[in-house]
Amino acid sequence: MQDIILELKENIIKALNLEDMSPADIDENAPLFGDGLGLDSIDALELIVLMEKNYGIKLRSPNEGKEIFESVVSMAEYIKANRTK
Amino acid sequence: MKANIYINAIKQISAQNALCEEWFEKPIYYSENFVKSLDEDYRQYFSPNEVRRLGKMLKRALLTARKALESNENKSLDAIITGTGLGCLENTELFLDRMVRQGEQMLNPTQFMNSTHNTISSLIAIDTGCKGYNSTHTHNGVSFEHALFDAVMLLNKDNNTTAMVCGHDEMTPTYFNFLQKAGYLGQQGETFASETAVAMLLSRQQTDYSFCKIEAIDILYGQPSDIVNIYQPPTEIDAIMTGINGFDKNDNIYTDVCGKLFADTPILQYKNIFGENYTASALGIYVAAECIKLGVVPLHLLYNKKRPKSIRKILSYNHFGGKNHAFVLLSK
Repeated sequence: MQDIILELKENIIKALNLEDMSPADIDENAPLFGDGLGLDSIDALELIVLMEKNYGIKLRSPNEGKEIFESVVSMAEYIKANRTK
Repeated sequence: MKANIYINAIKQISAQNALCEEWFEKPIYYSENFVKSLDEDYRQYFSPNEVRRLGKMLKRALLTARKALESNENKSLDAIITGTGLGCLENTELFLDRMVRQGEQMLNPTQFMNSTHNTISSLIAIDTGCKGYNSTHTHNGVSFEHALFDAVMLLNKDNNTTAMVCGHDEMTPTYFNFLQKAGYLGQQGETFASETAVAMLLSRQQTDYSFCKIEAIDILYGQPSDIVNIYQPPTEIDAIMTGINGFDKNDNIYTDVCGKLFADTPILQYKNIFGENYTASALGIYVAAECIKLGVVPLHLLYNKKRPKSIRKILSYNHFGGKNHAFVLLSK
């Protein structure tokens, strides 16, 4: 699980152009939106693209997103259970 | 041209040091054939979200717009008009490249948002809270003059308008190679390919900081021989600011038209220090405005070694491909 979390953090940094951040700077349990990383709706779209491109996961229901994108850990758990590549 | 219209503020980011006029006394010269603009550290000016999300050209556009507005007495803005030949090229290229490579699947929204031509004017509008007229003109090498013409028409209609006119273009190595093969940039003897970011504020109200007055704008289409016959040249101009760039095919048109219409008038250049791109003429008008404001022309801008006796009236002449011709008359 730690491997996926680290890889996911690296992918998030790259996809969202978080130039000044390293994986260690991202708290995997902190909220991605709002307080934690402070991401917004456009970042959510980027994360959906990231999930499909890197892990072959297509998110179809908007309701799913709220739980999946809660934190890096929740994303990693979803990826572990649903990845196709 | 009816009303008196003044350029009250200008800010630039280019191959010369940004947001200042150091080029006037200490220009930077380049031997490369492709030079990116000298960017500021945008982290000083923007929020972390803006820094990571906005493309380079949008950061330049936003910063020049903010700085121009800051330096103006009147901080409110009624219109934003941008001229751009290629739009936000870097993100367009990335977006199209991924579109092809990924079979139009899984495309990044940020690159798409950053890639459209009118992103520039709309972003400035959001940033400044300007809900007024918002427009983008794209006409190859005369895009900026079309934007300027639009602003002048607007100002002639409304006395209380402050209009921001911008000229923005960026260049990528891939597109530079395409243009070099097409014969537009990187030709024998030609100055370096460059990028432009210019924001100007226009108003009918003259201020203590006004650069100059825009007396007339003429945008014409035709062969140089047609232009010589059609164009009614202004009298008593002190100098002509041309887009001479070292490439004979381009320069011969300037020398031919200027020789026939303005014999013995000093010819000035700016592309030797600012480079060539689709909206470089915005920098030409900026340089001419600065010369009028200071009443001096530095030696490195003289093309035919003739020094103007006074510097109260400069005609900016820009042509693209020998067919699109734009004349902008500026005066003290």
